[in-house]
Amino acid sequence: MKARIVVIGGGPAGLAAALSARQAGIPDTDIVIIERDMELGGILPQCIHHGFGNFIFGEMLTGPEYAQRFIDEIKKTDIQIFLNTMVLDITTEKRIHAVNSTDGLLCIQAESIILAMGCRERTRSQILIPGERPAGIYTAGTVQRYINMDGVMPGKDIVILGSGDVGLIMARRFTLEGSRVKGVYEIMPHPGGLTRNVVQCLEDYDIPLYLSHTVTSIRGTYRVEGVTVARVDEQLHPLKETEEFISCDTLILSVGLIPENELSQKVQVILDPVTGGPVVDEWMQTSVPGICACGNVVHVHDLADDVTEAARIAGKGAAYYLSDTLQKKSTPVSVTPGRNVRYVVPHLIRHHLLEDLTIYFRVCTIEKPVKIRISSDNTILLEKTKRIVKPPEMVKIRLPAEELQSVKKNITVEVVPQ
Amino acid sequence: MVSDIDMDIETEKIESDVRAILKNRGYSHIVSSVDRGIVTLVGSVTSWDEVVTLGYAVIQHQGITGIINNITVAGHDSYRSNIIHLEEKISTAEPLPDRADVVIIGGGVIGCFIARQLSRYDLTVILLEKESDVACGATKANNAQVHTGMGEKSGTKKKALCIQSWPRYEKITDELDVPYKKTGLLVVVTEDTLPSKIPSFISNPVSKYVLPYFIAREGKKVGDTPRIINRKALLEMEPHLTSRALAAVFMPQYAVVCPYSLTIALAENALMNGVKIFLETEVTDISVEDGNVTAVITDRGTVHTRYIINAAGVHADTVADYAGAREYTIHPRKGAILLFDAKMKEYVSHQLSELQLPQTEHTKGGGVLLTPEGNITWGPSAVEVPDKEDTSVTAEEIEAITEKYQKLVPDLPRSAVITYFAGCRAATYSEDFVIKASSMVKGFIHTAGIQSPGLTAAPAITDTVLDILREEGLTLKEQKQFCAQRKNPPRFSALSVEEKEELIETDSRYGRVVCRCEHVTEKEIIDAIHAPLPALTVDAIKRRTRAGMGRCQGGFCGSRVAAILARELHIPLETVTKKGTGSPLFTSRTKPGVEQ
Repeated sequence: MKARIVVIGGGPAGLAAALSARQAGIPDTDIVIIERDMELGGILPQCIHHGFGNFIFGEMLTGPEYAQRFIDEIKKTDIQIFLNTMVLDITTEKRIHAVNSTDGLLCIQAESIILAMGCRERTRSQILIPGERPAGIYTAGTVQRYINMDGVMPGKDIVILGSGDVGLIMARRFTLEGSRVKGVYEIMPHPGGLTRNVVQCLEDYDIPLYLSHTVTSIRGTYRVEGVTVARVDEQLHPLKETEEFISCDTLILSVGLIPENELSQKVQVILDPVTGGPVVDEWMQTSVPGICACGNVVHVHDLADDVTEAARIAGKGAAYYLSDTLQKKSTPVSVTPGRNVRYVVPHLIRHHLLEDLTIYFRVCTIEKPVKIRISSDNTILLEKTKRIVKPPEMVKIRLPAEELQSVKKNITVEVVPQ
Repeated sequence: MVSDIDMDIETEKIESDVRAILKNRGYSHIVSSVDRGIVTLVGSVTSWDEVVTLGYAVIQHQGITGIINNITVAGHDSYRSNIIHLEEKISTAEPLPDRADVVIIGGGVIGCFIARQLSRYDLTVILLEKESDVACGATKANNAQVHTGMGEKSGTKKKALCIQSWPRYEKITDELDVPYKKTGLLVVVTEDTLPSKIPSFISNPVSKYVLPYFIAREGKKVGDTPRIINRKALLEMEPHLTSRALAAVFMPQYAVVCPYSLTIALAENALMNGVKIFLETEVTDISVEDGNVTAVITDRGTVHTRYIINAAGVHADTVADYAGAREYTIHPRKGAILLFDAKMKEYVSHQLSELQLPQTEHTKGGGVLLTPEGNITWGPSAVEVPDKEDTSVTAEEIEAITEKYQKLVPDLPRSAVITYFAGCRAATYSEDFVIKASSMVKGFIHTAGIQSPGLTAAPAITDTVLDILREEGLTLKEQKQFCAQRKNPPRFSALSVEEKEELIETDSRYGRVVCRCEHVTEKEIIDAIHAPLPALTVDAIKRRTRAGMGRCQGGFCGSRVAAILARELHIPLETVTKKGTGSPLFTSRTKPGVEQ
């Protein structure tokens, strides 16, 4: 089988990318979406809290509602969808090998591929929490599925390690379901999730948040019996004398998300070691011509709305690649992180711009008040003041296309004190 | 012939010597007694280290064959409170039979090997295991190595039985359809092999030219065909190896076998041939009359028998105690292992072990090793622990393992570790296998102190046990219908495209991938649940199919596997467990909805 565009992943990124490619002129029947789950929407169907869509739709929706808007759009088209279908391999010739129970093994020859596989959760082992291996240790996303989709409760007395957004949301969810959240422990001196989630999910429910704390051991032969927590020093090393045993039957981990790029690596897409995702240009094209990437596979986003926006660009990028619309610059311009910037996406500008460019970045440390400065060759292209910047909150800056057309040298994004 | 009088004189001498040893070390309050070469120590000290050190100090003395170390640590309180009561157990097993010819206690690799071997004969054999699956102790938490025995001390049972066993593995794993791979082992000599106090202008040439010769000689002695590899060739074989490597010896006969797959296969083959296996069945006592064993008493009932095989691993001394046949103490020596993501496999192509001199019982072995599936591992460590069920991996162990093994392949990043685990070696103070009929209680047979190379030596250990059973009067008459072959259900990810297509054609559930990291399909999980030895828990499914063994560690597939278990076993989802009774994944349903 053949397809002009194959989108891998039917979550918010994949759906928006497919719709946008269609809008950019690719016929429906030339677009394929491959989704490994039984339904479209990715992680959104289990995100039953609200807070989605403020940006894209101007209203506050739940995860399932937000996803449904896109699913409804897709259903109106003739875009081909393969559900329950797992991509096993992609070759450098853009042949995609997948499997499902109705078609058996599938081989799709694509002209362009959009990688939209999302991310997975960091596990207990990846952060090397010592102790035993009983039942009752879960990642926050996994328990979100258990509670919201499978209708089962993973525990009664909960300790949460890490204050990522999903962990905060699950602290509230556990409380609403009648479990007792004994505390959220965060190794960093600042919360890992958005401020709005700290307020709405912890403070509103009197759930204590312990900053600069971590779990140093897990106890329990068959089921978790408790965890030892300790304060950490500035180098994040646990202080033995502050260790305290907390009895609980469940430990929830919300300690970060990792872009899922096992397939990307099979086609030699270059990854950014900081984001864990592909290096992309302004059209979300990766280092391999014709392969675009969008959403959490590129870098972990805070908001689904931002994923949708980036995916729309990737969809167009793939369509423009196929129609050969884009005019390459003689030399690509790289966009690099400067002072107090951890990473920037996109990583480079390869073509003459057709529209304004949105730059996404994260800071290394909290700083206030600041100026965000975007410059090239000692010329300031844009400067913007901001009351405060924090690592958990992605910063988004729009650069007008005309500002960038003449830029030839590298662009630096930096945060400087006001 | 040793007369009783000679024996008494010998015993008295040992008694006074042991008292002297204890007194010299400042432990005159420890009471010792000697019976038939076995020394019993009783008393109290302040740390576990002292308990272990005293055991070793005493065993050094000539003429002592075993130590029963009953020294306790004052104020030591085991936290392990969750002893599971029978009424909580999900009893799917049929009731215990009233009588059996042989009862095997323990479903580790040794117990299952013996069970399978006994199933060749016209006997009623039952195997009792306290956990919810076989292979739950040290069997599932080791390096999977099929050693050649070259590292073992001459004259030990360990060495002799290991040498007899390793050449048999190819046939055994072929019969049972178990992952086995002859990877070969590189014993690497580095600039750190000899103690740093020796100047490098002496130690480097010695390490480079002299040591490999001696290592190779040891390998030849046990039947291997070693090859000395110079530095240049070594770095071609293993490009990521440390630049401090000087030379190596390649031992082509070293292999890996998946220890839990092997044990499950043995158990299944034994079951096929008539052995009965009772899981979640804990032995609580043993009846002895007139010096003969008569029955095994468990939390599920009593089985009468004349032959008991003690294959209880770290609990072998407790079980021996039940029979009044204790001749040793098992002091658990914990070994932790760190395991890497399979995608790191390009970093290492052979088993790698760095020679470190001088060697001690506690530090030999281990390395940067491969599992049969190609995952790289670091470890194991060796830590004496008081608690036999302690399988925790401490921060100190993680650091110690990192420090010891990272330097061998320095660019292998620790961040690619996907899991770690620990098991307790069933060490005795004599540090050798104890395989013999009890001299105190007839019909009680010890297979104790089985630590490395116990996995490798299992076939010969089994032969020894069968010989003992014959000597003890059991008639072994071959049964005609014995079938040595056992087939593993298909593993989808390992098949060719054509084979995959064919499988999906026959059963579409092979087309549904449940575990995304390891590409395990729904049908494979269903096969495991309905296998001869059914997988009834999430961990049991993981060991049989690899679902949940990948980089996400079950984050995605955990809920799908739990749902399949509930469906196939016709049980509510909230009763699915991780590893049997006491380990439920869930505590209840969510709040019920309001009826419309």
